[in-house]
Formats: sequence, C-alpha cells, structure tokens
Amino acid sequence: MTFDVAKRIPLITLVGPPNSGKTTLFNYLSGKNFKTVNYPGSTVEYYTCKMQDKFNIEANLLDSPGIISLNPNSPDEEVTVNSLYNHPEYGTPDLIIVTADASQLSRHLLLTKQLLTAGFKVILVLTMKDLLEKKGLTVNIEKLSRILRCDVVFVNGRTGSGLNDLIIKAEKNIKELSHEKSFIPYFIPEQLSKENLLSLYSEIENLTRAVIEPIEPPDIEKINKKIKVLNPVLQEPTLQPDLFTLKLDRFLLHKKYGLIFFFLIMTTMFTSIFWIAAPFMNLVDDLFSLLASSSSELLGNTWYSHLLSEGLISGIGSVLVFLPQIIILFLILGLLEDTGYLARGAMMIDKPLSKIGLNGKSFVPMLSGFACAIPAMLAARTISNRRERLLTIFIIPLMSCSARLPVYALLVAFLTPSDKPWLGGVLLASIYLFGIGSSVIVASIINKFSHKLIKANDNSSFILELPAYRVPKLKIVLKNSYVNALHYIKRAGPIILFLSLIIWFLTYMPNHTPQIDTTGLSHDEIIHAEKSERLATSYAAHLGKFIQPVMTPLGMDWRIGVSLIAAFAAREVFVSSLALIFRVTDDENIQSSLLTAMQNATNQHTGEPLFTTATVIGLIVFFIFALQCISTIAVSRKETGSWRIPVLQLIIFTSTAYLFTLIVVNGLRLVGVN
Amino acid sequence: MKTAAELKHGEKARISDINSDNPSYKRLIEIGFTPGQEIELVNTSVFNDPMAFSIRGTLIAIRRNEADCIILS
Ligand SMILES: Nc1nc2c(ncn2[C@@H]2O[C@H](COP(=O)(O)OP(=O)(O)O)[C@@H](O)[C@H]2O)c(=O)[nH]1
Ligand SMILES: [Mg+2]
Repeated sequence: MTFDVAKRIPLITLVGPPNSGKTTLFNYLSGKNFKTVNYPGSTVEYYTCKMQDKFNIEANLLDSPGIISLNPNSPDEEVTVNSLYNHPEYGTPDLIIVTADASQLSRHLLLTKQLLTAGFKVILVLTMKDLLEKKGLTVNIEKLSRILRCDVVFVNGRTGSGLNDLIIKAEKNIKELSHEKSFIPYFIPEQLSKENLLSLYSEIENLTRAVIEPIEPPDIEKINKKIKVLNPVLQEPTLQPDLFTLKLDRFLLHKKYGLIFFFLIMTTMFTSIFWIAAPFMNLVDDLFSLLASSSSELLGNTWYSHLLSEGLISGIGSVLVFLPQIIILFLILGLLEDTGYLARGAMMIDKPLSKIGLNGKSFVPMLSGFACAIPAMLAARTISNRRERLLTIFIIPLMSCSARLPVYALLVAFLTPSDKPWLGGVLLASIYLFGIGSSVIVASIINKFSHKLIKANDNSSFILELPAYRVPKLKIVLKNSYVNALHYIKRAGPIILFLSLIIWFLTYMPNHTPQIDTTGLSHDEIIHAEKSERLATSYAAHLGKFIQPVMTPLGMDWRIGVSLIAAFAAREVFVSSLALIFRVTDDENIQSSLLTAMQNATNQHTGEPLFTTATVIGLIVFFIFALQCISTIAVSRKETGSWRIPVLQLIIFTSTAYLFTLIVVNGLRLVGVN
Repeated sequence: MKTAAELKHGEKARISDINSDNPSYKRLIEIGFTPGQEIELVNTSVFNDPMAFSIRGTLIAIRRNEADCIILS
C-alpha cells in the first residue's frame, strides 16, 4: 500500500489562543491578507485557503477563531472546536499548527497540552519571541519539544523569520501521515474538570520553569564574562506585564478620567471624518465633474449623452465623492483597533452596557457597525451569553454604517452654512451619537419589556484579556483600509450603477424628447425646461402617484419617495438618485450643483420649497432608523438562527423611521423651523 | 476569607482556591487564575467593575462577581 497524496489533500488547521498570532501566520502561509487586530476575538469565522505555492506543500489551511481551551465558551469558540472535531467539509485536521505567545507561555500552553492529549498531530509555533526577549528571556525550544513530544519552532510575526523551519517541520509531519483519515481525536469531558485543569496547569508550570531561560550572551561576551561572575540564573521567571502598557493604563483606564478619555477619543474620531476628508472629496468631485462636462460637450444634447453624463457619471460620482470619508473612517477604526485600546473601551463600558442587557463585549461589534453591520453581527459571536448576543445583533443596524455616510454627508452639507464649515463635523458627530443613543434606548426597552422577544438567560460574564498597547503599524492599517475600500466599491458599485441606469430610464422615458415652447429661453433654460417636462411625464412620475400619499405627511414629494425606495437596494443610491432627478447643470461641481438644485427644488405637490431644514433633518432621522439593507437582514437571519429577529428588526426600525421622520418634520415646523 | 474582589489598587496576593459556585469558574482557571499564582489589582473601571488584574505576565479584566470567586491566601 502506498500513500497516495494526490488522492487526499491534507488539512492543516491553525489553532491558538486569541491574539497569539494565528491570522498573521495564516497570511504568511497562504499569501492572503486577512485582517489581524490587536483585540482578542478578531477572527470569528474560519477561513480556508491553499498553502502558498512557493512552499511546495499541497495542503489546505484553515484559520480559526481563538480558543483558550477545548471547552468552548462562546459561539466563536464553538466554531473552532467544532471544526477540530468534525469539520463538515474537511473532517478532522491532519495536522494542527498551534500558536502560542512566548511571552505568556504558561497560559498559552494549556491548549497545546489539551490538543496533544486529545491525540492530534501538533506543531507548536511560538510567536512574540521579540516581546519575551525584551524581558531578557527566551524559550529553550529543543527542551520544550522533547518534553511535549511534538515539534516546536519560533516564528516572528513581525518579520516572518522562522517560517522556513516551520515549513520543514510541516513537510516532515505530512509525510508521516497515513493514507486514510483513520484517526479520531478523543474528547473526554473529565479532561476539563477543575481537578484536571489544575493539575494540567501545575504540570505546565513545571514545564515553563524548565524551558524559560535568560538570553545567553553572544559567544565573545561569554568568553569575556567567564572570568567574571556569570549572570545569576533566574530560578523562577516571574513575568511582569508590559511596563509601558501599565503606565498608559494609569491614564486611559483611570477611574475618573478613563471614561472622559473614552468619550473624547470616540468624538474626535467621528468629527475628524468630516474634516480630514474635505480636501480629498473636492479632488474626486473635480474629477467626476470634468468627466461629466467633457462627455456632454463631446456628445451634445442627445439621449446617450444624457445617459452617460447624468445617468452614469453624475450618479456614480455623487456617491464616490464620499469615498474619502469612508476610507478615513476605515483608517481611524483600523488605527484604533491596532493600538489595543478597544479591549479597554470594552472594559470601561461593560457596567453601563450590562444595565441595558448588553455586555462590554458588545462594544467592538457596535463600533465595527460603523463600518458595516455584516462583520459587526459576526463579531457579536465573541459574546458568550446568548441573550446579550442577540440583543447586540438587534441594535447593530442602528450604528450608522459607512453606506449611510454619503447620505449624511450630503444632507449635512445642505444644512451647513458656508460661513460655518466647522459645523459639518459637529453635525456628523451628533448624528453618530444620536444613533448610539437610540440604540441604547432600543436595547433598554427590549431588555425591560420583552423577555419573550429574546429568550435564553444564561450566565452573563465578562472576562477579557487586555492586550499590550503598541504603536499601530501604519502599513498594515493602510493596507486593510485599502482592501476595505475596494470591497466597498465592489459591493456598492454595481448596485449603484445598475440602479442609476434603472432610475435614469424611469425618469427619462417614455417622453425622451419633450416638445416645449422655447421662444425667448436661453440654452440653459431650455435644458432645464426639457428636463422638468420629461420628468413630469416619465414612468417614475406615474409610479410616484402611488407613493405621494405616504410622502405628503412628511412634507416631501414622490421624487424623494422614489429615491428612498431605491435606497433599499443600497443606501448610497439615495444620493445618486437625487443627483439624477434634481441636478441639471453640469458646468459646476457635482456636489455643489446638486446642493443648488436641492435648494431650488419645490414640492410638486404643494409648491413650497422641498428641501428645508425640517425635511432634511427628517431625512437624516429616517436614515438613522430605517433598515434598508438586504444583506444585513440575511446575516441577522443566519446569526440568530431564525427569521424572528430580522423580521422584527425590519418592521420595528423601518416603521420607527417613518414615524420619527413624521414627528420630527412636523414638530420642527410647529416650532417655526422650516 | 479574602477574595480578589476585595483587593486594593496595587495590592498583590496569592490565589489559594477558585470557588466553583460561580458559573465562570472554569474559564477563570483556563485563563490562568490558578492556586499559587500571584495576582495584582492594576485597574478598576469607573464603577469599580470590571477589575483588571495582572496575572502570569498579562492583564485580564473580569467582573467583580467573578473576582469574588477567586479566593486569596
Ligand atoms: N511583536 C509581535 N507581534 C506579533 C507577532 N505575531 C503577531 N503579532 C501581532 O499580534 C497581533 C495579533 O495577531 P493575530 O494574527 O491577529 O492573532 P490571532 O488573534 O491569533 O489571529 C497582531 O497585531 C500582530 O501584528 C510577533 O511575533 N511579534
Ligand atoms: Mg485571528
């Protein structure tokens, strides 16, 4: 019998405690670019990949969420443990590469020991050697390997050194594999009893005492020192947490000022999005305006010229103008994630959040909800209590995701007087805060009144490792933001393109060359008159009649209604739809001409100005609440395991949106704001 | 019987046992709170809850009620 490698591609699974460097290693081995973050629990789903060709090993690689032991405590840990014992597609792993932070060896060896006891084939990779060395210590890996009876290598996650050793060891281990998957890991619950855990730990303590050694001085020094007294050998290495971290925590986790720092950091983050992005936005705007005007100059006043310049360029451009803001949001979130501060934030607001049925660990999912609700809902898997997790998922759509940013930015720009540009950032920050505030209220209402809505009440717990602070690696953060932005364009781009075409068609046809009396009108006026005539007799206007009754109480007309409906495909489409419907001239910048058009637009129903302070604030409120994202609903279904929560979210949030808009618009008018 | 929840800021103590009444006790052991280990209270949050302990060379934040099942010697 010969081992037929071609028949079965071996599976290598990467396992390890949270924040031990699994994803970093996975990226090295697969050549891919998954996100690494300085927060325990940043990977919540497994990812599979082929091993990079250059290593010459044919194997599937699987990256998994961090686990502390084989006894899972939260859904993300269950993902890993299930994949170890029974991966639906690949079965049990042929080889496990387990990562352990060398600077926290005793804590991280627990899992390795459990995996070995369960019978898995294991290679132990020690990461963060650099951190241990800073403390003047190192690990004797030969000795460790002998005691554990498995291969042990150092890999530096920062430089990648040691990877070759790992590859050689992996190759050797894979060659030893038997032909069929015959091995079944065993899982004995007694193994996880208190007594067993304690004896395992004391075994590990003896072990670490034997393998952690002071760094040997280089040879030449050694000879010199031989004459003098040798460094006293550490008997029992007592490890201290990172000193810099302890010092910084004295401020950032200060009992009184900690929360003030927290709010300062959060507010600065949201305000700066608006300010930093402004110059870049102008750049994008100029580019698209140039494209639009030169294409209409080139093609003249024809339908295909209108399709190109109004339907496509101005539709897409009106959204892409806001891309810089989105990139900056990703950048700021990425920087914050990489510093290690997030875990502190989670710790500080655990108490207030637990009062409303959430958990400190809801903080990171909520924060990532500002980028996108989908990964945010997945991130809620780190919350072990089911009720708290479901409640977190429930309120995540209220976090203003990046798809809403273009909408807010346009509406905020409308509200911001040109002599007070600072107001824009403040307004945007208040929108975010309003979203957070509403989520708090929604959560507390649901928590208080409805134990039926979200059942399950198991143990609520908060145990979170606070990783050492470090200076964010700009290169990685930039790369991540770039990948995210690209992802954003890929997701929203086609939808915006497609809907822009549909809306263009609906607003342009069937009366594409309207007959109007042109006597005494200038060129611009003719274009304007043609456009309004065309729109008034278009398919969209016919459809609009049905929406009008719903829009009238809000002080808006069907044209906004059509844009709101289109926004259910993707929220950004609201902006491109407005640009398509309202913008007329193309001799100005896209954004400013859209703003001018909005200022001049009148309600076709009442003849009053359409976009007033009241209606624009009403629209902002609508977008804060409305659940206009099909993917969010789908993920909510998947993560909560039933239709109950997503359907409730859709109904509750969208009706609240309409109701609040109604109240806000009419309330503002009542007090004289128009 | 003193527990970790009663430690003062910067106070160090050795763990003598983990009370298995608390549902989180196993996780506490798994994460490194084992008898014989020295812990130090390094930070408490605004509302005195959660508390951050230094243990085995790292910082871990746990709730006050969880700290209460860490018995000190
Ligand atoms: N100093 C140092 N940092 C590392 C090393 N390996 C990984 N890291 C960092 O540790 C953090 C956690 O890594 P990650 O791969 O996300 O860990 P995971 O949670 O196990 O997937 C990241 O910010 C990495 O950049 C290393 O060898 N030395
Ligand atoms: Mg990871």
